[in-house]
Amino acid sequence: MATATAPATDTHHDAHDPHATNTGISNNKLAMWLFLSTECLLFGALISTYLIYKTRGNGEVLPTDLFDIPFTSVSSFVLLMSSLTMVLALSAFGRNDLDRGKAWLLVTAMLGAVFMGGQAYEFTAFYEEGLGYTTNPAASAFYTLTGFHGAHVSIGIIMLMSLWVAANQGKLTGKNSETVEIVGLYWHFVDLVWIFIFTVIYLIPPE
Amino acid sequence: MAIIEEPLALTSGEQHAERPLGVLTRPQANGSWKDWVSTVDHKKIGIMYGVAAMFFFLLGGLEALLIRTQLAFPESGFLSADVYNQIFTMHGVTMIFLFVMPFAAAFANYLIPLQIGARDVAFPRLNALSFWVWLSGAIFLNTSWIVGGGGADCGWFCYSPNSGITFSPTNGVDFYAIGLLITGIASLVSAVNLAVTCLNMRAPGMSLFRMPVLTWMLLVTQFLLAFALPVITVALLLLLFDRQFDSQFFDPEAGADPLLWQHLFWIFGHPEVYIIILPSFGIISEVIPAFSRKPIFGYSFMVFSGIAIGFMGWGVWAHHMFVSGIGPISVFAFSMATMFIAVPTGVKILNWLATMWGGKLHFSTAMLFAVGTVTMFTIGGLSGVTHSLAPADTQQTDTYYIVAHFHYVIFGGGVLGLFAGVYFWWPKVFGHLLNERRGKIHFWTMLIGFNLTFGPMHVLGLQGMSRRINTYSSGFGFEFWNLVATIGSYILGASVLYFLWNVYKSKKEAPNLPAPGPDPWDARSLEWSIPSPTPEHNFDEIPVVESQDDWWFRKYNIEDDGSVVRISSAEDAAQKGDAVGVHLPSPSFWPLVLAIGLPLIGYGVIFNLWLCVVGGLLTGGAIYAWVLEPVDDPDADGHGHDDHHDGDDPDGELATVGAAGDDTEGEG
Amino acid sequence: MKTIRKREKPVSDSRKRLLGAVALIGLITAGCAGDAELDTLQPQSDNARDIDTLLDRVLVIAGVIGVLVLGAVVYMAKKQRVKSYDGDDEFPEQISHNNTLEIGWTIVPAIIMVVVAVLTTVAHFSLNETEANAYEVEVEGDSTSWEPKIVVVGQQWWWEFRYYFTEDVDADFLDDPRNLPPADIVTAGQMVIPTGQEVELLVTSRDVIHSFWIPALNGKRDARPGFFAPWEISADEPGVYFGQCTEFCGLSHAKMRMQTIAMDDADFQNWIDEQMVPQSAPPENPDDPVSRGAAAFLANCSSCHLVEGFNGDEDIAAAVVSQAAPNLTHFASRTTFAGGILNTYTEDGEWNRDDISQWLRAPEVVKENYANGLPDGELPRGMPNLGLSERMISDLVAYLETLGQKPSAEILAATEVE
Repeated sequence: MATATAPATDTHHDAHDPHATNTGISNNKLAMWLFLSTECLLFGALISTYLIYKTRGNGEVLPTDLFDIPFTSVSSFVLLMSSLTMVLALSAFGRNDLDRGKAWLLVTAMLGAVFMGGQAYEFTAFYEEGLGYTTNPAASAFYTLTGFHGAHVSIGIIMLMSLWVAANQGKLTGKNSETVEIVGLYWHFVDLVWIFIFTVIYLIPPE
Repeated sequence: MAIIEEPLALTSGEQHAERPLGVLTRPQANGSWKDWVSTVDHKKIGIMYGVAAMFFFLLGGLEALLIRTQLAFPESGFLSADVYNQIFTMHGVTMIFLFVMPFAAAFANYLIPLQIGARDVAFPRLNALSFWVWLSGAIFLNTSWIVGGGGADCGWFCYSPNSGITFSPTNGVDFYAIGLLITGIASLVSAVNLAVTCLNMRAPGMSLFRMPVLTWMLLVTQFLLAFALPVITVALLLLLFDRQFDSQFFDPEAGADPLLWQHLFWIFGHPEVYIIILPSFGIISEVIPAFSRKPIFGYSFMVFSGIAIGFMGWGVWAHHMFVSGIGPISVFAFSMATMFIAVPTGVKILNWLATMWGGKLHFSTAMLFAVGTVTMFTIGGLSGVTHSLAPADTQQTDTYYIVAHFHYVIFGGGVLGLFAGVYFWWPKVFGHLLNERRGKIHFWTMLIGFNLTFGPMHVLGLQGMSRRINTYSSGFGFEFWNLVATIGSYILGASVLYFLWNVYKSKKEAPNLPAPGPDPWDARSLEWSIPSPTPEHNFDEIPVVESQDDWWFRKYNIEDDGSVVRISSAEDAAQKGDAVGVHLPSPSFWPLVLAIGLPLIGYGVIFNLWLCVVGGLLTGGAIYAWVLEPVDDPDADGHGHDDHHDGDDPDGELATVGAAGDDTEGEG
Repeated sequence: MKTIRKREKPVSDSRKRLLGAVALIGLITAGCAGDAELDTLQPQSDNARDIDTLLDRVLVIAGVIGVLVLGAVVYMAKKQRVKSYDGDDEFPEQISHNNTLEIGWTIVPAIIMVVVAVLTTVAHFSLNETEANAYEVEVEGDSTSWEPKIVVVGQQWWWEFRYYFTEDVDADFLDDPRNLPPADIVTAGQMVIPTGQEVELLVTSRDVIHSFWIPALNGKRDARPGFFAPWEISADEPGVYFGQCTEFCGLSHAKMRMQTIAMDDADFQNWIDEQMVPQSAPPENPDDPVSRGAAAFLANCSSCHLVEGFNGDEDIAAAVVSQAAPNLTHFASRTTFAGGILNTYTEDGEWNRDDISQWLRAPEVVKENYANGLPDGELPRGMPNLGLSERMISDLVAYLETLGQKPSAEILAATEVE
């Protein structure tokens, strides 16, 4: 993941002096790092809640009874691939290769959308099998956690599409590829959280 | 999302040729009230935080007086149990979230840029957003008195399942949850903003370990906020989902565990204590050196003990749960962890004393409040040690002994320190001093009222008086000290009114008195190197910092024999505030508009989901407009300075302000 | 019942004096000791004494530190004060740090805290030590070895105490606080324990979180729904010990009190014998208020309250949120009712007609509740106002007096709070 750009290699920051900030990291990027670190706590609390409640079914069906690991593996893979395309988008913008950059942005957003489609399908399937939001503590915790993650992915998609529109209007060029990098930070974070969720929630079997 | 905003090219003097979509402009400052609602100036925002917080201080104080009036006599019928429960809940919520935190935010906003030598915070528009979102959340919270069927009646800690819909069927708790979520967003945005400011916007030479202790403590506070608020956010959302959407997080009948709430709440709630107290620690670390004529003793110990407190604050939350049945091993571990937080705290107290030791102590009002803070906090800290003894805590917890303890910490250690700051920085903010004689009367009545109110509560608690009881029977020995506490609370209330009188009179008298000058206290940090009141652009020229207490060393030199020699008067050394051509970020209305949308969403969740749509459109629209308005308006005049010299900033100092390019992804 | 007496109240307490000094209000002490029934500083059991001793020691340490800090401030304020700095360019020595000193006063507080930690550790683990304890009681003529254990159940806004003499009582056995297995003795507001015995408690709740606390006998323990919190209690001497719910539990939290009566062995056995006897229906006689009261009880009270042997012998699922109402089988054998806030007998030892009538007439006035005029579908919390006629009230009061044996004069006297 990209961190502070060393001033010497900083070729496209003609708009502001890299020495302008004390850390050498731009305000925007530093703010994103801080924001993402607070998000760790948010997801930490939600994941802990689920882990505490995962076996509390109140006599009803549990999320762990319904997990379809192959299906979720595929959608997880899709999301993981979107991180790769995000990297490709950033590198294209870094090279000022706007056409590729735009294309990779679009692919990233599409992969995110596919993941969201998978989540919508999963929720529907679970609901039909009797796992409603209010069924039991385990269900409430599961839907809240994955729903929160889904909301984060959706916001990421909106940001990616905004970048795409801006690039099409010519407002996003290699010169401000840092914006792409910042959105990329967010996107990688959301992916990472999902990898964690997938491992801890889906793959580790209930006691 | 300001993701398409390009950092502003102020340094090169290029004008922003293009306005995105060409439809939106930034408002311009013209001296009317609109300046205030559209301002992005950290100083105006700081003042607004202070004024609004003071209003909520009066409200919370009124609630406190109602509580004390009810408890003045046994079996009193002054308030019904229902109203009493709402009032003590709202008293706690108001004082913590709507007074102490924003009042500390007032200092953070106003002083961090000045103390590190910056022209504004990293994200000026986000800063305005923080204030307006906080204010809208605060107002939202209090509208529950009118439209919510009364205030929340669950206590500020709002333990489940008593906070559930079964046991609290009015909308008070919904207002509590949503109101604190909204103010939480504000604090989170502000925390990220101010932390970035401290880390990134320091003047040349202002290394982290030359930052004043106040800025350090505020930085630690921002990190605590940034990591504590997400946890309470989750807790409040789960509570809200339980109440509004029938989820099953806290219903024991469905197999949920009420301890989940307690853990989430206190993982936030204990760092919150340090969020409240550290700004005050920072303030008195500025005041005591100034009025001892000595540097702060053990700067690095002060800083590191603050950081240590910040870290250790995360490992002690369950000491609020010693009797909840979490098991003897957990209780033991948290008991030990809690004890050792006394070490860095003790270091701070001893360092303040060492700063005073041998100094020339001038007991100005600010100094009185600072010394009052040290002593009252010591009492609160020592009674805190007695709670860390888990066995003893099983007797003390949920009694008035605890009420006494945390008021000595939060009021004695926190609020008194904030008042020290008010008296100390008042001339810097408003250009005139607060009257010292009246200030001293304010201090002594406040100190006496405070001790009369909360001192007796130690006795009441040890005599077995429970907390949160709306009445007590005669015969348990509670009568006398309750009456004393009530009398004390009225003295305390009177002292606050007297403070406001002092503010009013001092303002009236100010034109007939000599101006305080840039540095009325012969102080040490950079904010005293510029005129009072602070010019809109803060610094004519960003100072180049050569040492800790850089400003003091511009006035004095320490000779080889250790003696102090004046090398310049403050007036000569200070900047004149007459710079022209300083280009500042343009005002914007969108933070306010965005902030208005959030409570509408809140009302929507409670009453009618269509309101959510309205609020959502307003918020979403404001975000879009925010993105689409130019980072700066090329047509805008310099604010109060007739500058059209965007290019005359050869040092590139302004890039730090200009490059702010606000970023709203933070709200994602 | 000969040894029950009021606890002795020391005239003053040195710790309060110390604390008063610390709190800068030295005047506090002399007059304040009074007659504080809930005082945490007058322990009457081993556990409470251990806690008190620990607190004593730490208060001394804290007091010394507090006096030193305050003394230093006062000393400096006297010695080093200057009126103003005007025209004074004389500076004190500019000492910015002293590492030795600072490391020293990091280590010294740490050492002090280690001492405190050791004291705490010892007390903590000795308090959490439980010993198996066998106590011989006679239940319905059979001698049985009872491991003294009482199930304590909180609900808005009163306490229930359940005694199981023959079962192995644990969380598995009890299972659901709202549907507990039938007990040998069920009482409310007043827990009776044998003197000198460590009595184990299993504390739970049927609705929100409450906290069970008898300050003279031990610290407190939260009553949490869905969980049976282990706790213990004992008393050195026979007597009546007062308590108060300390976890905020809603509207009438202030009026949720309880008492613990410690009896010597013979009295405790007598109490068991008395409590094990069910009631029977009084002979029907329209001229007898007791008989009319029994009928009124059946008509108005029996859907929530149980009088064993009269309106059933199973627990009743009362139509309130907690699904429980006090068991009234031996109502007249208790000296307190309405959640421990009213006395069943007057100061003269007479049946307290006034207060009991008032409670039946307007319970929501005596103790605020959510039981009247509720929206549809909302269950009451607390005792509803049943709109009873005055005649019915006086009949009920007469009937209630027949439920159980009047307690001894010593207990009656000790229940009065003065």
